Amino acid sequence: MNDSLRDELESLLFDWDAGTLGDAGIDRVREILRSDESARAAYLQHQLLNAAMGLDASSRLDADSGTISQVSEPELDLAKQNIPSALPSDHFFRVSLWAVAATTLLFCGLLGRLAYLEFSDSDTVAATEAIEEVTSSGVALVTQLVDVEFEPDQVSLDVGDALMPGPIAIKSGFAQIEFFCGATLIVEGPAEIDLKSSVLASVTSGKFRAQVPPAARGFSIEVDDMKVVDLGTEFGLAVTENGADIQVFDGEIEVHSPQSDKRLLTTGQAIVRNSVGEFSTGKITPDRFVDIASMESRADGQQTQRYEAWKTLSNRLSRDPRVVAYYSFDEQGAWDRKLHSSVRPDNDELDGAIVGAGKVNGRWPAKSGLEFKRPGDRVRVRIPGEFDSLTFACWVKIDSLDRWYNSLFLTDNYNEGEPHWQILDTGQLFFSVRHKPDDLNGQPIKGPTHQEVLSPPFWKPSMSGRWLHLATTYDADAGKTTHYLNGERIHEETIADQLVVRETRIGAASIGNWSIPTKPDAEFAVRNLNGSMDEFMILSDALSENEIREIYESGKP
Amino acid sequence: MAPSEKSERFVSLLTEHQNRIYGYVYSLLGDHSRASDVVQEVNLTLWRKIDEFEDDRPFLPWAFGVARFQVLAHLRDRKRDRLLLDAELAESLSGQLEKSATQIDSVRVALRGCLQELSPSNRQLIEERYFKALPVEQVAQTSDRTVGAIKVALLRIRRQLAQCVQKRSAMEGLA
Repeated sequence: MNDSLRDELESLLFDWDAGTLGDAGIDRVREILRSDESARAAYLQHQLLNAAMGLDASSRLDADSGTISQVSEPELDLAKQNIPSALPSDHFFRVSLWAVAATTLLFCGLLGRLAYLEFSDSDTVAATEAIEEVTSSGVALVTQLVDVEFEPDQVSLDVGDALMPGPIAIKSGFAQIEFFCGATLIVEGPAEIDLKSSVLASVTSGKFRAQVPPAARGFSIEVDDMKVVDLGTEFGLAVTENGADIQVFDGEIEVHSPQSDKRLLTTGQAIVRNSVGEFSTGKITPDRFVDIASMESRADGQQTQRYEAWKTLSNRLSRDPRVVAYYSFDEQGAWDRKLHSSVRPDNDELDGAIVGAGKVNGRWPAKSGLEFKRPGDRVRVRIPGEFDSLTFACWVKIDSLDRWYNSLFLTDNYNEGEPHWQILDTGQLFFSVRHKPDDLNGQPIKGPTHQEVLSPPFWKPSMSGRWLHLATTYDADAGKTTHYLNGERIHEETIADQLVVRETRIGAASIGNWSIPTKPDAEFAVRNLNGSMDEFMILSDALSENEIREIYESGKP
Repeated sequence: MAPSEKSERFVSLLTEHQNRIYGYVYSLLGDHSRASDVVQEVNLTLWRKIDEFEDDRPFLPWAFGVARFQVLAHLRDRKRDRLLLDAELAESLSGQLEKSATQIDSVRVALRGCLQELSPSNRQLIEERYFKALPVEQVAQTSDRTVGAIKVALLRIRRQLAQCVQKRSAMEGLA
């Protein structure tokens, strides 16, 4: 290959790596590779170097500092000593920490996931890590939301969300924000607030009530060039374009502004600052500012309302002729280790048998749920009949994804027509229906036996302990599987023609686990869910996106 | 072999050759994210075919065969996406690649030594672009140079690295 051709190829590959190579460039790369053997060798060298750097990227990046760590792995220490020629390279890599760790992981039944986690695109890995880091290292938490409507350009928040520095805009309603320093701020919309750090926020409009326990002294709120520093107290702040109204209900605050000396305000004092920065004495009106106690009672009222809305929907669902199995986990009376079927008219045959799993609170204090914790925990059900399309939906609170497969609903075996619904440890929702007959007792079947439909990873550890609505529809006519999270479609896939199953059946099955009697020693037979569930349904139809969203909207906590 | 012994052996081989399989798949796709997906498919396929796995048969050619098939399937299925190679080119490169992908671990060792030989500022450029996967624009911004200048610099450093890696891994081969 002559030098100019080599330069051209290297330049094109650089652009490809950068994501800027257009179609003409791609064609040119192919042309060069087709025409010149040494170009093909140069191509492979380029890609292998990229692969080597990509492989090292994930293991070498120090998550904390974002710099490349040189000391965490023995292999890197060796390399640093510049003696690669002395390394028995093959053996060397066989005993590398990574390989040892990987082997252990594989034996825990993580095969396959490994590659996903280990080799994820370094861009993605970096991005994901950044997000994880972000959510776990924010400056405040949302602890209560009552009737909140967010401004259209504001990403809506949920209770439990960690907040990063940045603006929040509320159109109406109340939000309770707890700063990591310990200060609690109740925000009444319409309001605009910009979180600066765990001890500082800047506000442009809205009504705020801050409660600052001694441990959080020093918590400050900025309004324009004025700064209100809390010295351990409870105070109210109302900000409009006409100025700011500051009232101390209890304790002491300092007000700093460039136009005047520092002011100290104590219990019962109030000042008003107009738009040009002049101060005057104000009136104390604590009733204008919602406090934490009334926030709680408003939240309770909202919970009761939500619970009632869900009950209305639940009643309707229990009479829906398409419902094959429905467990609302809300049947009155003692549970006697049975999970009563909610399908109306009553059918005892559909009652589930609770094994292990303990009763816990559901989405609302008035509602029950079941917690799946130990490897044996499950609910056994038997669901007769033959169907075509199916919908699975449940409300689940995932504590963590410990297993390679984390079961939502699995039929006992995996015979022709039987569905399996679970979550992979990568946080991907997984659904498949077995197409070919069971091969456990016969000859292994050549070729694929079913099409696994995997959503993109939806789970991140910051969702732990939060109620999520998961749904999957299987449309036997259209040959399509669709996954939903919290009423939103997250993945849709067409099943290959030869793998579409027209006739589905369930029979003996487990919620939250897998009972596979034929393979007691199978490595990945442990598939128990680590979390709680408080509603589960199967319908003999593929529900539409709107129907799934309605179930989510009427049931969200 | 007893089944548990067999899967133990299988898993240790799969682990041992994981980087090579990745190098193989990546080289044909030129994209880390796609390569991870396909390697995952390869692993699962190999696992499902564990019955075909015989201990006295070399593992790697078998694994490369499965990988080649998965890459070609991926190239065919994703025709509408922008891909660097077409199936025909991937096919024609796969033979040579089977040889070079086995070298990936010595490339990695050599690369570490070679990175140490670079000047600190050049090493930083490589780390930012290829280890931290920062976009070229961002690398340019942090070092206060134009995108064009960064490209020229990175191409030059890469060539230096490639030559060094070649030399070092050849040395290793002799040791």
